[in-house]
Amino acid sequence: MNRKTWIAVMAVASMLALGLADAATAAERIIKIAGFGAKSGVVRSFGVNAEAVLRAATDDINNSGGVRLGDGSIGKFQVDFFDTRCNAEEGISIVRRLASADYLIAVGPTCSNVAEPVFGILQAKVGDSSDTGLQFPIFTDGAIKGGLAKISEWSFRNVPSEDAMYKALFVWLAEKHPDAKTVFGGVEEDFAHSRFTWYSVMKERSVQAKFEVVGEAKWLLNDTNFTTQVREMKKANADIVSISSHPFTTCGVLKEMARQRVKPRVALVGLTSSSSMETLNGCAAQAEGIIIPTSFAPTNAKAQRVAELTAKYGGSADLHSTAAWENVEIIRDVIVAEKVMAKPETVQQDRRRMRDGLAKLKSTAGLMGTIARTEDREAVKPFVYATAKEGAWVVLYDPAKASALRTTGETPALAFLPQR
Amino acid sequence: MADFWLEVADITQSAMDGLLYGSTYALIGIGFTLIFGVMRKVNIAFGAASLAGTYASLVAFQVLHAPAIVVFAVSVIASGVLGYVVYLTCFRFIAASNELGSLLATIGMLLFLDEVTVVSTQGMPMPYPVLFSDTMLFFGPFSLRSDLLLVFVASVVCTGILLAVIYRTRLGLATRVVSQQPVAALLCGISVPRTNATTFVLSGFLGGVAGSFIASSVGLLSPLLLIPVTLKGLVVTVIGGLGSIPGAIVAGLLVGLLENVFLYFRGVTERDIYVMLLLFIFLAVRPRGLLGRLHA
Repeated sequence: MNRKTWIAVMAVASMLALGLADAATAAERIIKIAGFGAKSGVVRSFGVNAEAVLRAATDDINNSGGVRLGDGSIGKFQVDFFDTRCNAEEGISIVRRLASADYLIAVGPTCSNVAEPVFGILQAKVGDSSDTGLQFPIFTDGAIKGGLAKISEWSFRNVPSEDAMYKALFVWLAEKHPDAKTVFGGVEEDFAHSRFTWYSVMKERSVQAKFEVVGEAKWLLNDTNFTTQVREMKKANADIVSISSHPFTTCGVLKEMARQRVKPRVALVGLTSSSSMETLNGCAAQAEGIIIPTSFAPTNAKAQRVAELTAKYGGSADLHSTAAWENVEIIRDVIVAEKVMAKPETVQQDRRRMRDGLAKLKSTAGLMGTIARTEDREAVKPFVYATAKEGAWVVLYDPAKASALRTTGETPALAFLPQR
Repeated sequence: MADFWLEVADITQSAMDGLLYGSTYALIGIGFTLIFGVMRKVNIAFGAASLAGTYASLVAFQVLHAPAIVVFAVSVIASGVLGYVVYLTCFRFIAASNELGSLLATIGMLLFLDEVTVVSTQGMPMPYPVLFSDTMLFFGPFSLRSDLLLVFVASVVCTGILLAVIYRTRLGLATRVVSQQPVAALLCGISVPRTNATTFVLSGFLGGVAGSFIASSVGLLSPLLLIPVTLKGLVVTVIGGLGSIPGAIVAGLLVGLLENVFLYFRGVTERDIYVMLLLFIFLAVRPRGLLGRLHA
């Protein structure tokens, strides 16, 4: 074969290969999903974990055949993850870029101080032609501050309702310890989530459960000296101490409590975000016995599998990160139900279908059981009360299981989680 | 009347707690002021390098399960090495006249070191060996943390050693000559770069002591410590008097004490306002600080 013949053969082969690849692409379309969250800064672990779960979930669906699109072809997820640095301006800039590209939907962010302004740049009411806000669906997995999804009809959340969790927890404590009367609060005053959870959730719900709030101590996110605050706590001598702060200052306060020999008579209650490995890494001994409501615990086979897969992708499965798994499964189901096409020319149409599909949902399947969806696009997720025991989080009480057992007359047992 | 005395006891206890905690600020302040005293330049990356060195010592703690004293020693050495790296990258090759250049370089170094520690630890708080865990000394209605008492003693000892080095050794003599007359020092055959590098290593050692004592007093090491360490270090340096080592100690204790008193009376949200107001007053009314020399 001479040189010209070789070139001709190679050209034909290349064209054939390209044609085959094209055919494959036509049969298997790409569904572009964006993840966004803090992957740098001191809350980096939130983003790292969220990304790990997002990639594990999408790869799991892709490996099991992908998603059936509106015209019968198969779609495979492609995930790109963007770092917001837990910064509002960064989050807004990322979402503007995503909306102008061909992403179907975004999952995120991890920080409430990013979610709030980001939802603000979305169109508030669907179909309002006078509103030039972005028409781009966002399905939040991490940012937990209450009531944010109502900002825009394009924003959806699958985060636990802290209000429901702490309401149930304080009622449970009141029932279990009828002699307990007083609560003392501790709050990280300069962090949106901590403030909101103490003032609008823990404090109100403890009062509703007939506890008297006998005082509150305040500190800041970067504080390292808690002597004065813990002395206030000691003077109050409350039955329950409820701490609304993130792991670093929670550990600082718990260590100071140990030094000053402060131990609430009935219970020590913590913030949802503290039911993580960070707390156990930082102060497992001092956190022993702290009770925290959480919407994730590997109590069943699927949840255990998700925890294992997440670890393989370099993350840790917790109440914040595992919502991304549920989000991906919900997105898959809505794509099928709403006949999303995932074609470049149908991007805006597909986004609207996703939004409408998500808005229609009344309940979804979750890792811990059925998740109810509310009118204002929030979730009501099943939860358990976790407690720190010998360096691991274990389930102290499962309200749903206990309720089911009560009807059959059995005694609820403690279910222990595997050590992570 | 009993309430009044209880209140007095509370305020006294808060002041004592603050005074003791201020000794950690004093240690950081000494490191900042030492470099300014010799080079007349501010090393913003000092706190970051100290904490990065302390992070490095976690290897000894977590991997080798070394005792606290070894972990502290590793922190001192690693911070000294990082001090030298900061000198090489931010000062050595930037012209002495370009003061803004080296200042900005240290800001860049601060951000870089912070990012490296955040990425390598995923921002997670790490437990740090605690000296005298939970040991409190009681005097009637008052109590003192023994680990903070040790920090207080350590800052006094470090200052003593530092002053001995500066006033009793050839290295100290060279350091003083370079700080006062760099050209004359050069003419006398003193290597200015070597003297400056040694000062950075010395201040790095101090940073390692400060970093490990701070982490030990908190019981945790977290990137969140960087902002208070850097900010309080600078405040203490200015209030104590730029270049004054005894001034840094006095200012560190004063800032710690006032912080707790303001916290007691005005709450945590207003606490830092008063500390920053104090800084502003010193800058406006007494720029040489408590014990600084006039030319500083």
